[in-house]
Amino acid sequence: MSHCSCNRRAFVRAGGLALVSLGGLDPLFLGRAAYAARRQGTRGKVLVCVFQRGAVDGLSMVVPYAEEAYYSERRRIAIPRPGTGDGAALDLDGRFGLHPRLAPIKPLWNAGSLAIVHAVGSPDATRSHFDAQDYMESGTPGVKSTRDGWLNRALRHGREHRATPFRGVAFGQQLPRALHGSAPALAIADLQAFGIRAPQGAARDRLTAAFEALYGGEQTGIIASTAAESFEAVQMLRSANPTRNQPEHGAEYPRGPFGRAMLQAAQLIKTDLGAEIVFVDVGGWDTHINQGADQGQLAARLTEVGGALAAFATDLGERMADVVVLTMSEFGRTVAENGNGGTDHGHATAMMVMGGGARGGRVLGTWPGLAREQRFEGRDLAVTTDFRDLFAEIASRHLGITQLDALFPGHTLRPESFPGVMG
Amino acid sequence: MRRNVVTCLGLALLTACASSAGRRQDTAAAPPPATGMRDTDFPASDSAAVVHLLNRLAFGPRPGDIARVQRMGMAAWVEQQLAPARTADPVEAEVRRAYETAFLSPAEQYRRFPPPNLAQRAARQQPGDSGDMRQRPPPRDRRPDDPMMDSGPGADSMMLRQLARGRRELAGDVQMATLARHVLSERQLLEVMSDFWFNHFNVFLGKQAARWTTADYVERAIRPNALGRFADLLEATATHPAMLVYLDNAQSVRPGARPPLPPNLMGRRPGAPRGRPVDEAREMQQLREVFERMPTGINENYARELLELHTLGVDGGYTQADVQNVARILTGWSIAGPGRAGARLGQDPNRILTFEYRDWAHDRDEKVVLGQTFPAGGGIEEGRRLLQMLAAHPATARHISHKLCARFVADTPPDGCVDAAVVAWRRSDGDIREVVRAIVRSEDFWASANRRTKVKSPLEFVVSALRATLARPDTTARLGLVLQQLGQPLFLQQVPTGYPETSEDWVNSGALLARMNVAMGFASGRMPGLESGLDSILQPDRDLDALIARVNAVILGGQASPNTLRVLREQVADARDARQARTMAVAFALGSPDFQKQ
Repeated sequence: MSHCSCNRRAFVRAGGLALVSLGGLDPLFLGRAAYAARRQGTRGKVLVCVFQRGAVDGLSMVVPYAEEAYYSERRRIAIPRPGTGDGAALDLDGRFGLHPRLAPIKPLWNAGSLAIVHAVGSPDATRSHFDAQDYMESGTPGVKSTRDGWLNRALRHGREHRATPFRGVAFGQQLPRALHGSAPALAIADLQAFGIRAPQGAARDRLTAAFEALYGGEQTGIIASTAAESFEAVQMLRSANPTRNQPEHGAEYPRGPFGRAMLQAAQLIKTDLGAEIVFVDVGGWDTHINQGADQGQLAARLTEVGGALAAFATDLGERMADVVVLTMSEFGRTVAENGNGGTDHGHATAMMVMGGGARGGRVLGTWPGLAREQRFEGRDLAVTTDFRDLFAEIASRHLGITQLDALFPGHTLRPESFPGVMG
Repeated sequence: MRRNVVTCLGLALLTACASSAGRRQDTAAAPPPATGMRDTDFPASDSAAVVHLLNRLAFGPRPGDIARVQRMGMAAWVEQQLAPARTADPVEAEVRRAYETAFLSPAEQYRRFPPPNLAQRAARQQPGDSGDMRQRPPPRDRRPDDPMMDSGPGADSMMLRQLARGRRELAGDVQMATLARHVLSERQLLEVMSDFWFNHFNVFLGKQAARWTTADYVERAIRPNALGRFADLLEATATHPAMLVYLDNAQSVRPGARPPLPPNLMGRRPGAPRGRPVDEAREMQQLREVFERMPTGINENYARELLELHTLGVDGGYTQADVQNVARILTGWSIAGPGRAGARLGQDPNRILTFEYRDWAHDRDEKVVLGQTFPAGGGIEEGRRLLQMLAAHPATARHISHKLCARFVADTPPDGCVDAAVVAWRRSDGDIREVVRAIVRSEDFWASANRRTKVKSPLEFVVSALRATLARPDTTARLGLVLQQLGQPLFLQQVPTGYPETSEDWVNSGALLARMNVAMGFASGRMPGLESGLDSILQPDRDLDALIARVNAVILGGQASPNTLRVLREQVADARDARQARTMAVAFALGSPDFQKQ
């Protein structure tokens, strides 16, 4: 195991150094080289995972407005049917409508680059956030002892020639469970602040050089290799300077942590540092109390998400052809509203797939219905698409991963079970 | 007896405690030969050896510790550490004052920091209402533009924010009580072992009722047994509400089991209301809802982790059938829940969040585990028998000895160390002190190949840095956030494996850079969350060679590599003044590779 890891780290170092020296010689040349690489088609595919932590109410995010039960069970918080004035759902296909605060991404739907999978979720029946998030990130529903995350396993597939410290990046303080594991992955709270922190650039450079010299004395071992990797990453970021990539095409990211994270995701992708999997968390979905309809808590969260996703797509422009954004959440919420104008922990939810490769403009998955006898345990939207089939389809058809069994151990994957989100 | 010790500690009657703990050690554990550590068990007490001992059995040396241990002798120091109740520790009372919510009972924590829906219902009760928590339907005529529906400054969202603040305060106190003890306590081995065992028997502070029970878990399950007998520790964790909630055993019932109805509704079944009062019909309706949400079968989570992680180990020779039968034996081991369901079933509100054995939920059929038969008709006692059997199993001795050697000796523990620990475990019936003695005595512990080769965990890095610089945590929770930045926040590891003992899993680029930034923060004396002690150990000095020598002696135990000394010297050369030179020297010392190793 340690042997393996040494090879991996040594390899990363070699790759990193090559890039750094390019950048150090001539930043313009780096730009040209990257552009040339893009032209030659070596620019990689990128998956951006957006985890809606806290269990988003899929039924008000993507409204099944043809269902009578949706309205009879949600007298206070239902989203009105399309065409019934302000605050009504935005019709998608005659059966489903988008939450009105997701209007900014409706053009993507119209252009065929936004697909939705409804009634998707876990085969495990748990209604614990903790367990369900754990299962979704480990990729092994019902098995708690899995040590690594499915995205880390995805990073291990055989594309070593593109290994860089930036292949797997989470925007946030901590590496999410989905990226835990033996493949290197970075948690970056802020692209600009990654590295040694100091008020002025000159001081920062000096301190960085000093720490690098301190660690340069280490010959072997994990500290030596990790330090080398770290300073390379810092150097690469500094030469490439992703934050110079200001939003393009008039994109405007909403204020707030999610908008900021998506802006940084776009900056990282545009910098061509080899990012392949990007992970962003967005919280605030556990709407037990006062969920609201077209106004209120859920609406406020969706405003931020819709705005940030739309800005991201606008900003990346033609580059979206290589990018897929996948939203996910540990489970959905009850069909019926509760006594507090909220919803409780449920089962299936809806997930969105956005990007050039998506077979957009359709709501995919088998719709199980909302009548009481159609519900899971008489209460929740039933799961008809296993989240692993959706994730595996994207891993396979977008990232080009062939060894899918390793991604989701214990789950038999068959392409005919894929929901069909990718073209 | 165990409870006595805890109570004594609480009252700071340390002398009384010491004698009772001493008796307990003599009678209960009763290891056959005289087993105390002798000086002949140790190499010469040069400072490198003492630093090694203090890095592994303590959270690193504080200024003056090395000389102190040299004076008293390493054997005497280890023996003192193995009997923590005999060491007076004024820090304990301070910690209890500074982070008081961490020392409230679970029921009291629940009352002070209720879940949002409960608090909201309580707030909606009319003044003069009976005050029970029965749900009152909110007014039907509210519009979406009603401030109550908004995330704006309505009364509800104010309250939600307040509650969230309260929850953070509680979680912060729970983290800080432990962090402060790690930094300040004289009972360092107790601190190290408490961390080891919590991590071994991990629970996640963020899961449901674990929020109000994790502090109690640390106080009453982990710490009193951290240097006791493994069997006691195992049972203390198995019966604690935090574990029962975290690994779902509280939900595990014999399939089809239903609780008895409360006395006033005895003799009726839900769905068949009888008699006139409208209230009674409503109560039956609510009971039916409670019943609908009741767990309906076995939950194997705890059973599996009990075998795989807590005792036998993944290769411990058990089968899936064993897991299922362990789960059946433990059906009914639950907690008095805090929710409305408990209230409707007639639960005593003062007993919420304590262990509760539910006989109605227990599977009374025969079970077989690891070839041992548990005959039909058994109750709670068969679970106790099971735990004793697991604690005494040879696979358990080996599994945990291996993990202890990984903590104390090397990430990949040498066989010699593990074998010695296993022998001591079996000879002493799982007396943790005996196992620690055996590890410290083993040649592997002192071998040069195993010195300064382990990387400090994030917790070890932060605590040892504070100790080296005589810094003290303040009464805020901000220091806890530093651990979060480094990737291992206290009590917030979601997975039951705990944080890995091996550095491969936690040393990564972002985390290593974060350590360097934290080192600069500590050195600047402006780090939020702590009071710097630099002035009392390192006066700013214009003689830069003297400064570097002193920093090496105080912070790096005199063990700095030539490269580190060279870089430190170069860096302080062009400092603006003596104070800045000190700041830089301390920052680079704490951030150096030398300080990351132990």
